[in-house]
Amino acid sequence: MVATVNYPLAYFAERLAGTEQVSVLFPVPADRDPAFWRPTIADISEIQSADLIALNGAGFADWVARASLPRARLVDTSELFAETLIETESITHSHGADGEHSHTGTASFTWLDFEQAATQARSLATAMERRIPAVAVGLHARLADLEADLMALDAEAEDIGTALSGVTLVATHPRYQYFARAYGLEIVSLDWDAGAMPEDAQWQALSDLMSGTGAEVLIWEAAPPEEAMVRAADLGLAQAVFPPLANRPAEGDFLTAMRASLDALGVLALELATD
Amino acid sequence: MNALFLATAYLRYHLWRSVILVIVAAVILSVPFISQTLLRGSEEALTSRAEATPLVLGSRGSRLDLVMSALYFSEEATAPLTMAASEAVWDSDLGLPIPLYTAFSASGARIVGTTLDYIEFRGLELAEGRPFAVLGETVLGASVAGRLGLGPGDTLVSSPENLFDLDGVYPLEMQVAGVFAPTGTPDDEAVFTDIKTTWVIAGIGHGHADVINAAEVEAGNVTASAALIEYTRITPETLDSFHFHGDPDGFPVSAVLVAPWDDRSGTILRGRYLSQENPVQAVVPSEVIDDLVDRIFRIAALLDAVAIAVGAAAAAAIGLALFLSWRLRAPEMATAFRLGAGRYVILRLALAELGLILGLAAALAAVCVYVVWSSRESVVAWLLAL
Repeated sequence: MVATVNYPLAYFAERLAGTEQVSVLFPVPADRDPAFWRPTIADISEIQSADLIALNGAGFADWVARASLPRARLVDTSELFAETLIETESITHSHGADGEHSHTGTASFTWLDFEQAATQARSLATAMERRIPAVAVGLHARLADLEADLMALDAEAEDIGTALSGVTLVATHPRYQYFARAYGLEIVSLDWDAGAMPEDAQWQALSDLMSGTGAEVLIWEAAPPEEAMVRAADLGLAQAVFPPLANRPAEGDFLTAMRASLDALGVLALELATD
Repeated sequence: MNALFLATAYLRYHLWRSVILVIVAAVILSVPFISQTLLRGSEEALTSRAEATPLVLGSRGSRLDLVMSALYFSEEATAPLTMAASEAVWDSDLGLPIPLYTAFSASGARIVGTTLDYIEFRGLELAEGRPFAVLGETVLGASVAGRLGLGPGDTLVSSPENLFDLDGVYPLEMQVAGVFAPTGTPDDEAVFTDIKTTWVIAGIGHGHADVINAAEVEAGNVTASAALIEYTRITPETLDSFHFHGDPDGFPVSAVLVAPWDDRSGTILRGRYLSQENPVQAVVPSEVIDDLVDRIFRIAALLDAVAIAVGAAAAAAIGLALFLSWRLRAPEMATAFRLGAGRYVILRLALAELGLILGLAAALAAVCVYVVWSSRESVVAWLLAL
């Protein structure tokens, strides 16, 4: 059994396993954000029993830091590019005798750079080959297929990056740091709840952001209520829904859902070019 | 039969003198057997555990102290390493590193902070409960659980290191998640927890009430009062507030057990720590323990000779006591002689008394030897953990 902390890794593991003998455990409920989900003791016990535990790294799923997991069965899939992870804002504080210190955050949605996703898939494949001999037969071919699919997404994202060059995008949540860096996009972020109708103050913050940055595009992390899209359109924003897929999509899989998001961005880029 | 009856009656009449004679004779008879049992048991325990541990990394210094603290959780403290030494082994892909942090104790038992890999490495099985799952949980060795009367759901508090170190290590209340089945090794005498929990005890990680509000975040600098309450107990409610400061590679470990993937990997790993300039040394425990066992048995041979001499002297003292006792009983024997008891009957009476004393002493010695022999594993584990 391979346990994973997010859906992209679960998808990679399912593709790489290639046999029903190896199951993939992704215990996060569909309505929860895997980045902030907290496992129960029973969940941790189940994860501890896995042959391999695939971590995303980059601070994703920080419950891992407080849980006891066997080192021999852990694989940090972003370790190979740990030097290039994106640091986020930090907060400095002090208490007791420890003096002043800070908690630096790290952008954790690493797979939105599809080259990084391919590296993560390779790390996972190497660990699976070592820990689960049952997957060894044909593993390299399955990895090659998966890498080809991810690199096709990468190529499509490159085209979108080129098409949207010079355009400022606003994301409803800070999830797209690696996507922006990999494909040369300018993305500024809000901190809206996924799928919820923003409050007036949040709309005001969006207007202020548009004034300050000249943003023309709004990326929704999850499909919002219809009236939210209408209100954003009234502000003059082109819009696309781009779920980062930390959790399993309601329909399709990682590849089809990601293609749909990129297609939506591609259409939007075309519209902007036509205008 | 009459001689046996009279001897029994005499010994019962002089009960305390008889009891002392029996005990002294039993001690003389049992000590060599007990010392041999414990010595052989120690040799077996030392050797088998050392042979089951291919390699130990620790700070350069006494190899024996390193092995004794890493394998037997003894109190010999070696200078701590950092977690970087463990990660270096992992990064080398030559073996599995299992870090140990054994700086603290709880209710007289060593707290062994490690990873779950240790359980697999030593083949430990749970008698009750489950392995530790989150910060603050422990699994007890069988002897510790028995001695303290603790089981899953109970709590155990780490011992403060220094009562006068007000800014130092605070006791942490830990939740018992499980108890290991007895193994007859020092693992029975230890309290196991995640190494991150021992870092919390060391003050490297801590949990506290939220110090941040929106305005302070905006200002980018949050200062909390020194009176801020730090949690001394990790509960589901406070777990999320626990965090660590600094680079994990710099966090302390007492030693790192290493299970190389194969012989070649083990040789390469040992080669990496040969330089005297390297502050980390790699030790093959079986080499150190073989050397120690050789020394112990050389000393043991000397002790055996001393024990034989002391035993002979004590036996002579007992003989003298019996002889003097018979001299004191000369009028009694003369009366028996006048009543018609021949020299042979008196000799039988003397032999019956001696036989009873030695028989009782042999029985008592056998019971003592059996008790030590049957519990030799836990006695040896306790001795090694001292």
